[in-house]
Amino acid sequence: MNKATKNIRRRDFLKLLAGAYAYATLGSPGLAGAQTTRYGKLADTTRCIGCKRCMSACKRWNKLEVERNELVSDRETDLSAQNWVVVNLRADAKNVTQRIYEHWACQHCIQPACAGVCPVKAITKLPMGNVVINEKKCIGCRYCYQACPYKVPRFDFEKRVTRKCHLCYDRIPLLNYMKPACVEACPVEALSFGYKHEIILEAKKRIYKEKSGRYILGLKEAGGTDMLTILPTKPKDLGLVVAPQKVVNHNMDKLRITGAGFMGASVLAGLMYTYASLTRKNTKDDYGNPDKETS
Amino acid sequence: MATRTKKHLDIIFNRIERTQSFYVWVSILVAVSGLALYAILMSLIYSLEIFEFSAQVIWATMVSNYVFLVVSSTGLCIVTSLGHVFGMQRYELIGRRGVFLALITIIFGMISIGAHLGHPERAMIFNLLTPNFLSAMWWMGTLYSFYIVFIAIEYWLLARPELIERSDQAQGPEKIIYGIMAFRQLDRLKIGPVLKNHKLLQFIGAAALISGLSAHNTLGALFGHIEARPLWHGSYYPIYFLLSASFCGYALLLAVSIASYKIKKEEIPEDYQSLIFEMAQVLALLLSAGLLFTAYKMGFGLFTPEKVKPIMLFLKGPFSQAFWLFEIAIGTVLPIPILLWATKQKNIIGVLIASVMVLVGVYVMRYDFVVAAQVYPVIKNGLPSYLPAFMEVLFIGGVLGALFLTYVLGEKFLPLKEEHHH
Repeated sequence: MNKATKNIRRRDFLKLLAGAYAYATLGSPGLAGAQTTRYGKLADTTRCIGCKRCMSACKRWNKLEVERNELVSDRETDLSAQNWVVVNLRADAKNVTQRIYEHWACQHCIQPACAGVCPVKAITKLPMGNVVINEKKCIGCRYCYQACPYKVPRFDFEKRVTRKCHLCYDRIPLLNYMKPACVEACPVEALSFGYKHEIILEAKKRIYKEKSGRYILGLKEAGGTDMLTILPTKPKDLGLVVAPQKVVNHNMDKLRITGAGFMGASVLAGLMYTYASLTRKNTKDDYGNPDKETS
Repeated sequence: MATRTKKHLDIIFNRIERTQSFYVWVSILVAVSGLALYAILMSLIYSLEIFEFSAQVIWATMVSNYVFLVVSSTGLCIVTSLGHVFGMQRYELIGRRGVFLALITIIFGMISIGAHLGHPERAMIFNLLTPNFLSAMWWMGTLYSFYIVFIAIEYWLLARPELIERSDQAQGPEKIIYGIMAFRQLDRLKIGPVLKNHKLLQFIGAAALISGLSAHNTLGALFGHIEARPLWHGSYYPIYFLLSASFCGYALLLAVSIASYKIKKEEIPEDYQSLIFEMAQVLALLLSAGLLFTAYKMGFGLFTPEKVKPIMLFLKGPFSQAFWLFEIAIGTVLPIPILLWATKQKNIIGVLIASVMVLVGVYVMRYDFVVAAQVYPVIKNGLPSYLPAFMEVLFIGGVLGALFLTYVLGEKFLPLKEEHHH
């Protein structure tokens, strides 16, 4: 091997390394979606009977308080620091007779916007798929709430941290492979849990069997999420929050915005320089001082 | 011993002009600052929830107050660095007052956001231990920490010659205190001549300006990054924040310095008077640029589907009064003719009134900017209230009161006046 080829090879290798690093840090939905060791949760709203057993199971396992009357059937509930999972009755705007119970919780995005904005890396996407807030590290700035397209992380005013569903990361790795508390509690198998690729297949199978018009929420929303929801119709008709069908807060987008700001700052500095140099002559006239710094 | 201490204290207190108005001012401001302490105490005893007027509007007055104060601080840094960084000698007049104001506004801004955070103590630790370089908030916190250090050194360097002078002239404890503040023993070391060199001041000023502008830019980016909030998202706010910082800095400096002279019934130095009118003209120019930016934001927003709803909140919705009356009329449009008229008539009071109007407008604008963006996309039926909660008002009033108190004391004991010294 002569010196020239060795040099080229090294350069190529460095390029590849830099490219791979940039790819990994700046975001790569394809890469993240291809993993087959991740878990996913499937909620089938067409099967849900609205018993809210998932909510009480979640509260029991995660030691959350019952706030008001949220465990009563058909009572409209919002996500909160004590309600990590909610079940709400939703009507189709186009077909009012069609009503579903919507099981709603953290969607566990493949590229979570919340983890990207947390200043202290208190939020992590585990390899298993769970997006988990480290409550011992959270500084309580609530930036994750602002960044989340679904507004899932809610602030706990007592503990002064943000809390949300963590897909029972403390149950999954246990010896006997326990499913998340909500999935375990569902009496009608409206919730299921398994490897992500199996869950996607299962969801597609179910909507293939049924009438058309059904929709799988989470395949494309926010760049893909590890929680899928089968809806009878489009999410917009049900009055749900619609996330864009791309990664939210993509790192390139952040770079673009910050870069524009820095360009603005340079322009401002340039304008200040121009203002100073255009009017410096006045200074000399006003005070009769030479145009030099004095101490 | 006791008699000696009493004698020293007597000397210190005798130096304070025993005017009634000074005591009235200080006691009012101390009382108002006490309210903030009360609010913080209540939040610790009960829950942080007392500061929230809606569980879904999770950032409210404390964040907007923080934004207002740190933006003003950056603006003051921009204005003052025209003097000792860009070499405009007439702007060196305002150096000390401007930099002192920049220092105290950023500190009280940080106090405001610190009380808003759930765990400010963790923020300091984990900012160092586990930084997230992709988060604008991390950059903002870190860069503002640098900025505070630089701006504090800058003020110290600016004030040092006069502190030494005062220490030379004074006697007793005052001499010692001013000597310690100026670190007089440094003069005997090799660093002594370096401290007197204007180049060092220029360097520190440039460092403060660069860190301040960068921190400020990441503050704008903090909001701009959030794709889930249509009103904030985009590169508009990082740029607009720079512009609004400039006019906020000019307005605050003009308002505070003119008011200080007027309240103390002192004559404004002639060279400072001419600078005031020049600054008033620049402020009018910046305000008209700001008006163009606002028109662009509204026009552009109306043609961007996801931004229409939040923009309409301003144009016709519950924020319309705040927008049209405060943000546009009082904050931007009316001050321009007042400033131009005052410059032509050489009317200092006119400049003061216009600057105060700008500050009021900007304060309301910050509140609208923070709160209105959070109405969409989640809250369906509008907010229960568009006004801050009572405890928030107590806290914010207290923080602003403490800020004024610090300024009044600084005005009394520290060199802030507009004077040339070579």
